[in-house]
Amino acid sequence: MTSTRRHTTGDYDHLEPLFAEFASLPEDDERRHELRERLVTEHLPVAQHIARRFAHRGEPPEDLTQVATVGLINAVDRFDPERGTDFLSFAVPTITGEVRKYFRDCSWAVRVPRRLKELHLSISGATAELSQQFGRAPTPSELAGHLGMTNEDVYEGLQASNAYNSSSLDEMLLDDAESSMTLGDALGEEDVDLAGVENREALRPLLARLPERERHIVALRFFGNLTQTQIAKRVGISQMHVSRLLAKTLAHLREGLLGSPR
Amino acid sequence: MSVPTIPPDRISVPGTTGERAAHVELRLAADLTWVPVARAVAAELAMRADFDLDAIADFRLAVDEACASMMQLAAPGSHVTCRFQVDADELQVQVSTLSARADALGRQSFGWQLLTALTDAADASVAPPSVGHAGRELRIDLVKRRAPTVGAR
Repeated sequence: MTSTRRHTTGDYDHLEPLFAEFASLPEDDERRHELRERLVTEHLPVAQHIARRFAHRGEPPEDLTQVATVGLINAVDRFDPERGTDFLSFAVPTITGEVRKYFRDCSWAVRVPRRLKELHLSISGATAELSQQFGRAPTPSELAGHLGMTNEDVYEGLQASNAYNSSSLDEMLLDDAESSMTLGDALGEEDVDLAGVENREALRPLLARLPERERHIVALRFFGNLTQTQIAKRVGISQMHVSRLLAKTLAHLREGLLGSPR
Repeated sequence: MSVPTIPPDRISVPGTTGERAAHVELRLAADLTWVPVARAVAAELAMRADFDLDAIADFRLAVDEACASMMQLAAPGSHVTCRFQVDADELQVQVSTLSARADALGRQSFGWQLLTALTDAADASVAPPSVGHAGRELRIDLVKRRAPTVGAR
């Protein structure tokens, strides 16, 4: 037990021991039902928080909260305290997954057929493997060769990835679940290279307000001259994720620069 | 490695006859709503030209950035045009619009820093004023070259 509050985790620390008790009780135990209800109720803010992150995508907020709550209930039921991770690390992806599934199944915005989703997964896997092997990102035809697919299949998969990614659905997994491992832990220096930017007067406050990970990715890409694949490796996330974060961050910076008085 | 790869000079890009160079042109209303369309076309062309995934992502971002800044500089009611040219070894795009602000393409800007970082060559220019047009044509020219693909194939 640490005394420092780590973002959201700290608020739920006191509930962690209840999971062991919950898991040890038989299905029909009255106490088990009580615990289940308490665990779900007290973690509701987590579900609400995630639901809010998916707001403004055309789905009513109440529906999203409901779906996220279903995800939370599933997480409480499925969580295995024996596995040594804390509940939130398990719950956040589970809840996110539920909301994602909802978007996938019910919403036109991110409707990606299952086949494409699987294609997307194979391509992500092969991309990681080939990047490792070549020391650079693979081309679509190399992916096709590796996976024994046609180029057209790979194109389709990459397009699906873009469609999927455009809603930044993976984002919060890192924002929340991995917040305990900040980029600062992985990367030593901070912002040294950013000093070279010409219009830093305008840029600096914007960069300073970015989440730490985004700031470092921007610095690595544009001032450290690393490729997205190299950044991905260094930061421990996928190249697609780096791509997505960069795109989002740049849009954000652009808005900020345009909006600020010169 | 059972599927033969398509040599770069045989890439077929929709809208072309299939051999070597391909030209694709987009004309978009100068409204940020349409930036994703330009971005998607950029990614699609880079992908079909078999650039590596980093280059595809970079080109996509660069076109996004160039279009977004052009749309903000464009004279009201004008268009932003993206002319893509796909050759065996490089992707080129020219993004242009009519603007009343001929001084606006600052090379000191953050946007410009991005464009130069993301591409192999970036150039901005302003066409001479022409009769009958209130504004002047601003252009951004970008080139992304194919990285040598050692260690594969």
